[in-house]
Amino acid sequence: MNRRNFLKTMGWGGAGAALTGCDLPTTITLEEGKEEVVSYLMPEEYVIPGVGVWYASTCTQCSAGCAIHGRVREGRVLKLEGNPEASLNNGKICMMGQAGVQGHYSPDRVTKPMVRNGDTLTETSWDNAMALLQEKLGAVSGDRFAWFTGTISGHQSALVSNHLDAMGSKQHYVHEVVNNSVSQAVNRDMFGEANPRVRIDKAAMVVSFGADFMGASLSPVHYAGQYAKFRTKKERGLLVQIESKMSLTGGSADLWLPIKPGTEGVLALGMANLLLNKIKVSDAGIPNGVRKLIDEYDISKVAKITGVAGHRIQRVAQLLTERSPSLVLAGPSVEGHAHGYASVAAVMMLNHILGNVGKTIESSGQFPFPQLMAKQGGTADLLAFAEAAKAEKLDAVVFYGSNPVYSAPKALELNEAMNKVGFKVAISQFMDETTEVADLVLPVASYLEDWGTQVPMQQSENSAIHVQQPLMEKLYEDSKGLGDILLSLLKQRNNDEYGKFEDYYAYLRNAFAAMPAAVKNNTTNNNEFWNNTLQKGVIDVASSGGKLKSTVVSFADPVSESANADGLTLVPSPRLGLYDGRHANLPWLQEAPDQISKVVWDSWAEMHPTTAEKLGISNLDLVEVSSAQGSVTLRVVLLKSMHVDAVAVPLGQGHEAYGRYAKGLGVNPLQILDATTDNKTGELAMYSTRVTVKSVGPADSLSIVRMGTGSGDSQAGRKLVATVPVEQLRRTEGS
Amino acid sequence: MSLDNILNHWSDYRKGSEEGGHHDYEHRWAMAINLDICNGCNACSTACYAENNLAVVGKERFEKGQAMHWLRIERYWDQQDKDYPEQGASFLPMMCQHCGSATCEPVCPVAATYHTPDGLNAQVYNRCIGSRYCSNNCPFRVRYFNFYSYYESAWPEPMEQQLNPDISVRDKGVMEKCTFCVQRIRTAKDKAKMEDREVQDGEVMTACAQACPTSAIVFGDTMDENSVVSKLWKKHQVERGVYAKTKLAKKDKDLRGYRIFEELNVDPSVMYLDRVREDI
Repeated sequence: MNRRNFLKTMGWGGAGAALTGCDLPTTITLEEGKEEVVSYLMPEEYVIPGVGVWYASTCTQCSAGCAIHGRVREGRVLKLEGNPEASLNNGKICMMGQAGVQGHYSPDRVTKPMVRNGDTLTETSWDNAMALLQEKLGAVSGDRFAWFTGTISGHQSALVSNHLDAMGSKQHYVHEVVNNSVSQAVNRDMFGEANPRVRIDKAAMVVSFGADFMGASLSPVHYAGQYAKFRTKKERGLLVQIESKMSLTGGSADLWLPIKPGTEGVLALGMANLLLNKIKVSDAGIPNGVRKLIDEYDISKVAKITGVAGHRIQRVAQLLTERSPSLVLAGPSVEGHAHGYASVAAVMMLNHILGNVGKTIESSGQFPFPQLMAKQGGTADLLAFAEAAKAEKLDAVVFYGSNPVYSAPKALELNEAMNKVGFKVAISQFMDETTEVADLVLPVASYLEDWGTQVPMQQSENSAIHVQQPLMEKLYEDSKGLGDILLSLLKQRNNDEYGKFEDYYAYLRNAFAAMPAAVKNNTTNNNEFWNNTLQKGVIDVASSGGKLKSTVVSFADPVSESANADGLTLVPSPRLGLYDGRHANLPWLQEAPDQISKVVWDSWAEMHPTTAEKLGISNLDLVEVSSAQGSVTLRVVLLKSMHVDAVAVPLGQGHEAYGRYAKGLGVNPLQILDATTDNKTGELAMYSTRVTVKSVGPADSLSIVRMGTGSGDSQAGRKLVATVPVEQLRRTEGS
Repeated sequence: MSLDNILNHWSDYRKGSEEGGHHDYEHRWAMAINLDICNGCNACSTACYAENNLAVVGKERFEKGQAMHWLRIERYWDQQDKDYPEQGASFLPMMCQHCGSATCEPVCPVAATYHTPDGLNAQVYNRCIGSRYCSNNCPFRVRYFNFYSYYESAWPEPMEQQLNPDISVRDKGVMEKCTFCVQRIRTAKDKAKMEDREVQDGEVMTACAQACPTSAIVFGDTMDENSVVSKLWKKHQVERGVYAKTKLAKKDKDLRGYRIFEELNVDPSVMYLDRVREDI
């Protein structure tokens, strides 16, 4: 094997200059490597029964990749906490991370390989499963083979790519319901980087158009940490949140502005109009077409379209020039329309006008190992997959870390498409909707039992690779780590290169030994480096300096095609907790009240009381929410934290499989979404489906459950949470 | 503490802290919670489930008010007269306030709930007979009763392997509540004792304070003058044993620190800092 091939095999490919001086392992045998593993399973002298020891690893509950510590006692992992060594999450993890142990210890794990036998799946052995894979995948070649995953990074991602190469395929579908794909496209065009570093902590004022950065976002813990600094610094940061359904982040806003769904781009243009024409900020770098568009949107027109009062828009625009540097963010509710790209571009243009680029939006630099970087999912790949499958272009597909059968709108006819895929392999921990229709099910180890490396897609100032190590022995002998499965697949195609790795652990040891010396602090002792890395859990990797450009891209008029239509717009809102539905099988998260509505164990429709009154709907009525694609029936919860033209149905429930805790609860709003896409990027326009809502049954207090104490609307005159004006804080605490 | 001890010194145990209390305190564990950076995310509450073996009761029992969330996030809307809550929501992490003059303690017929020399409001599960008087008398509604043997359904195999062996799993008929993660305090105290030193500030971290992504919750010992929590209490002029007039007693009434239901003179160990909003 030549050097380039070797580096690619080991995941350090494409690294260029960063690899100078790399020391390649020559003598480590697998057996030697194994003997030197520091494992709690064979207790060292310092392991005392009854005393918990904390080991470092990485959370995979969402794609943020926070570094964690797991408390291990008597060979069992008991409690997870954030790893303070990681600047990404600074020793913190969110509720989903806390509940990671429940997925690991879930009573509904898949414990044995299973193979399709007519309508049912029957248990089989790994040998049979691998033989079947050899046979089926051996008969497929080129793009008729595909991987379908969620966001994936690190060496696992490198091996997926290498497996695709070995199969001669380029088809890696990466799908995530919670994504920022449209924003990435805009960022790339305007700033030159898809995911520049967002610095809420450095901003004096944040105007967030639907960006729920502390809630169901791409790195909630990282941004919550930034938010704390933003609020507690000498001049307390000011947060304005503009959205149609109050998000978790919206709950913390100084000013929460409800906006007519899909008109966020128009509001941004209105603000630009004020900034350029009234406050006379320079319009340098704005293309003529966009300048004209801005001029079309004067304040009265914008107020009318968006439903946001003119004086509010003026005040926010004025403050944006006074509080510098500011930061303007766009979230999924801005992205999720046919004109999503244009809306996001209009919002992000404000950062250019206000000179924020380089101040609160920084270059995230060049990560030295592109092969390991996160492959980020969106919904365009889901559409592409559905199309390819329907056209019978896929003979074999391996699914991992994604549940498209659950998350695809009915309009994509994915069930039918799945039937046309020749051979479906699910590498899965649970019997979810996608796993249920697979032809071969491979039980995968939980992330607390597995090796791996994770590269967070939103890096902090100090970019890093987070290392994942098993915190306990596998609960089920017949489950296998993802890396081990990948290696087995690769060995079937290319035994010359991969045959020498007994398992994924051996592969990773070799990969770490082959890591460029600079990253290893120039140590030549691979064992020492390995042990130190496992102890710390974080490998600091300097990203080489990059520089953002600050340009404005030409974009279309972001006017909503349905701005004047009757009816309501459906907001399929993701929750920090159940997220996109992947955590519906974790009882702690089912029993944790939704942060805004305080509902547990259920779905609900969220509506403004004024809207409900017009439609003759009372609080807790059973309602039918119907789109052109179908309908869902659920209870309504009336809250003023909704725009009058929107109805929100939170994501996460409505599972038809996925174990005892998830199955049969609530409804899945993704099912009734239109298959409309963003004109520019082809991403699903998730926030643009028009619906009608009608009452189909009276209130029944037993059927929806909200937290008893403390979910009432009013503090009833008691001083529970008191609010003071910022002026008082400035005087007493000198900020 | 034996039952004899309690019975022999019953009147002492009834002494409020305005009379100097009934203990020579060794520690007085306390919290400071900054409501301006609490975003209501539930990380603390979930961490509490993980640390303290809290049973998941399911939808029906939750509906009947049997949820065991020792730490819950209350959510209020303050601008009810407006069309929209333009200043967002008001979140309040609420757990046992470990009152210095706890109303739950004197009503317990068997002294199952009592005050420890650490300033904790402790609950002795073995002694509890389930009268629920304490819960009835708690103004904060933070005591949770085991109406059933929740463990029978809460941890189906192999979920029971996650249970924290440092604390018990409670059975039917017993009252339970936030302990300020007493097992973590115990561990830190034992370690300090073995090393022949005092417990250091920051050495004990409750699961909720550890988890909080914005670090809104600070935990520590108010008897340690140099602890972060002591300094915060002092900065905001909130003092133990100073009752309804706390606000009036403050030199600067605009300071944000307050304790909930101060007018009840229960002397809570949790100080909250007002939520702040900029009116624009």
